[in-house]
Amino acid sequence: MNRSLKTMTAVAAAAALSIGFVSAGHAATQTKIAFVMGAEADPFFQAMKVGAQAQATASNVNLVWQGDPSHYDVQTEVPIVDSVISQAPDGLVLIPTDPTGLQASSDKAVAAGIQVANVDTHVADLSKVLTFITGDNGDGGAKAADAIAGAIKYTKGKTYQVVVGLTSKTATTNVARLDGFKAQIAKKYPGIKIKDVAYSASNPQTASSNVNNWLTKYPNLSGIFAIDGTNASGAAAALQSKKLVGKVALVGYDAYPANVALLKKGVFTALIAQDPAAEARLAIKTLVAKIVNGKNPAKRDVVIPNVALTKSTSAANLKKYTYVAN
Amino acid sequence: MSFETVYEVRNVSKRYGSVVALDDASLKIGAGEVVGLVGDNGAGKSTLVKVLSGAHQPDGGQILLDGEEHVWHSPKIALEAGVETLYQESGLAPHLTVAQNVFLGREIPVKGILGKMGFLARKKMAADAEADLERIGIAFASSGRPVSALSGGQRQAVAIGRSVTWARKVIILDEPTNHLGARQAGEVLHIIENAKKQGLGVVFISHTLPHVLQVCDRIVVLRLGKIVKDAPASFFTNETLLGYITGAIQTLQEDAE
Amino acid sequence: MTDSKQDQLKPAGIGAGIAKLFSNQSILLVAVILVLGIFFSIQSGGDFAKVMVFNNILTDWGSIILLAVGQTLVVISGGIDLSVGATVSLSSVVSAFVMMNVFKWDGTITGDAATVPLLVGTLIAVLTGAAVGVVNAILINVAKIVPFIATLATLSAAGGLAIIISGGQPLQGPSNFSLISAFGDPRLNPFSFMIIAVIVVVVIAGLFIHKAKLGLYTYAIGSNTFAARGAGINVERHLTKVYVLSGVFAGLGGMYSYIRLGAGSPTSGSGMELYAIAATVIGGASLMGGVGRILGTVLGTLVLYTVQSGLLMINVSPDWKQIVVAILIAGAVAVQGFKFTSKRSK
Repeated sequence: MNRSLKTMTAVAAAAALSIGFVSAGHAATQTKIAFVMGAEADPFFQAMKVGAQAQATASNVNLVWQGDPSHYDVQTEVPIVDSVISQAPDGLVLIPTDPTGLQASSDKAVAAGIQVANVDTHVADLSKVLTFITGDNGDGGAKAADAIAGAIKYTKGKTYQVVVGLTSKTATTNVARLDGFKAQIAKKYPGIKIKDVAYSASNPQTASSNVNNWLTKYPNLSGIFAIDGTNASGAAAALQSKKLVGKVALVGYDAYPANVALLKKGVFTALIAQDPAAEARLAIKTLVAKIVNGKNPAKRDVVIPNVALTKSTSAANLKKYTYVAN
Repeated sequence: MSFETVYEVRNVSKRYGSVVALDDASLKIGAGEVVGLVGDNGAGKSTLVKVLSGAHQPDGGQILLDGEEHVWHSPKIALEAGVETLYQESGLAPHLTVAQNVFLGREIPVKGILGKMGFLARKKMAADAEADLERIGIAFASSGRPVSALSGGQRQAVAIGRSVTWARKVIILDEPTNHLGARQAGEVLHIIENAKKQGLGVVFISHTLPHVLQVCDRIVVLRLGKIVKDAPASFFTNETLLGYITGAIQTLQEDAE
Repeated sequence: MTDSKQDQLKPAGIGAGIAKLFSNQSILLVAVILVLGIFFSIQSGGDFAKVMVFNNILTDWGSIILLAVGQTLVVISGGIDLSVGATVSLSSVVSAFVMMNVFKWDGTITGDAATVPLLVGTLIAVLTGAAVGVVNAILINVAKIVPFIATLATLSAAGGLAIIISGGQPLQGPSNFSLISAFGDPRLNPFSFMIIAVIVVVVIAGLFIHKAKLGLYTYAIGSNTFAARGAGINVERHLTKVYVLSGVFAGLGGMYSYIRLGAGSPTSGSGMELYAIAATVIGGASLMGGVGRILGTVLGTLVLYTVQSGLLMINVSPDWKQIVVAILIAGAVAVQGFKFTSKRSK
């Protein structure tokens, strides 16, 4: 009894500690908008948070930022969304980790009079959602294929070996980028053969290990597509430790400051960047327009294109697209 | 036979809340003497053992070792003063070897800086453990065997051997023959006799009255927290001893005289 | 009660001889590694037999073996430390953060110029790991929370702290990739400075665990806490040492990860606690305490990464990797159970 009490206290204290860092209280008279996602610590969402916070301050919005720090998972997201809905915000920006799994929570919010926006990913039925704003991951994959083809000076009739580092088989952004990458290769670069894929399970050391093994197995490897930030970090480390920088084309994803620095050093051939901050800003803006002024957005679905950053990208653009740490 | 007193408690009492576990008990143990401690469950045996071993401090009374008064703040202090206790439940570490168990807590370090860092003279300890155990009549196995490879009787022999080896003055054995077969119990009693020959004072706590009668010089009977009889072993028969334990034979009057 | 007569009931002959040989976990593991190596070499058309593969395996091995050594010590004591993976993340991030923000050493410092920063970084990572170990020890010894729950709580807290400090991004401080690159021609030599350094640390740890008081007391506590206490061992103080050491090894693992990635990453240790525990169990340690050898853990880790690397080299779908690892752990536990019952029947 006594021991289990102590255990619960310890666990509760740890939980309270982590919650305390995430939530920040504000006055109740402002417009209140909740922002819920999975894997909150992901740099992509951290960059999004910067955009969301900036727009919230500009629009006098009380921003409630919530999400499981590490799990991109419907199991952890549903209870978080439901408890946020019970706080009765005026608007909700939801990044569903699963299109059907979050449908009920989304409908519940709408029924409670809350305006719902989807960012990055969406619920299965978008009919009741005010707006859906996303980066074009398929287009990002195609841009990655172009960047690799450019770096290896693709010539018709020759064959090239490339590999793709993924985080997991099911992460929707991974799937969309890989599909875009494959489609572009099939269309424009038939000589490029995708020899293998492997998963990092969000650990850059595992991503690095996968690339190490590929570099051994495919001595003539032409290029690597590291499909997200974790794989980009791991692949960059592997190329540097195997002294193969510049010999194997590396296209990474996500403009972490660390990755941008490596792009400048020539470790990355190109970096595909999203603009998560812009997505978040637009989501908050659209919600405020509806809640405060009753204005509907011009069109519901908005796609913000990904951009390919290279060594020759202007310093101003590099700066613009680099994800800002909070 | 008379013994020179080595360990003594005078008028010790111990209460746990409102329960009087030990009431004004006095006891002497001589060098080379085996004193049996018997009594029913709840008679105060284990409380007296804890007071003797330093695990508990009495509420009142004195503890004298070699005529000098001591307060045992912890069992370790009693241990260092020469009073070894083998608890019924403590036993040995089964994954360690015989030698490691014998030397546990008293390891011999190698010489020099490595010794200061905790490196151990394992060969010396193995040889010493084997010699020490053999000296008190335990010679069945190489000291390099893990204790888990020994039989129940052998384990108990090693446990007692360990206490006898280290004891300088007194050894307290709590139910050392419990759960042992006749032959194995015989070996344990043999070790107790060897300890006696070395001049150690032995306190032997047991429910098995024939063992007590066989090995003890003197027997102390506890009942309801009081010492109700303290007499040479030859004074008792199995039946009279049982009578004092159960209270069928009343003695308080007789003692008061 | 056991009896010596049963000794004679054991099966005799060649079968028994082989059984006895394989009851030595280390010999069994070496045999497993050899069989796996031959299998993967044939399946991959000789690719797996390359020296560079061995370098890849050793590089992975180095990242987990430090945690696994600490874990072995904890498991011998009868406990478990789930916080080591998060401690790797935290210590690599704290080390990067302090190097970059306190000492103002940034990512432009590379090669030999990074030597002093990386040494300072190592010290910071070790101190961070030790701090997590102290928290574990307090939760276990003072608050009397069972190790599983206590270290689960610190896993969460350390992981969260790593994210807060890093802002969820890798922090790229000073780097020197030549430390993790194989010496000379990688087609001829699988060893790097970091691999040699890890081997030295593991050997020293092995000596302290198997030849010194540190290990002996840990075995005694894991084997029979009551007996250890009875022998005058301060169990709480010793367990504090054990958990702090586990934290220190995780801190070293964090620095290994930092040097390998050239950055402190808040996810660089995620999931590693399971690999560390798996390696320990495959190496023959018992989660019941009292049993475990550093050599076994070293080989257990090698088995894990031989399999991981081999599956990739023969193009097995990555989904199968997890399943194979699970089978390995189940197999190791089954072998252990068999050994335990056969020992008991003696």
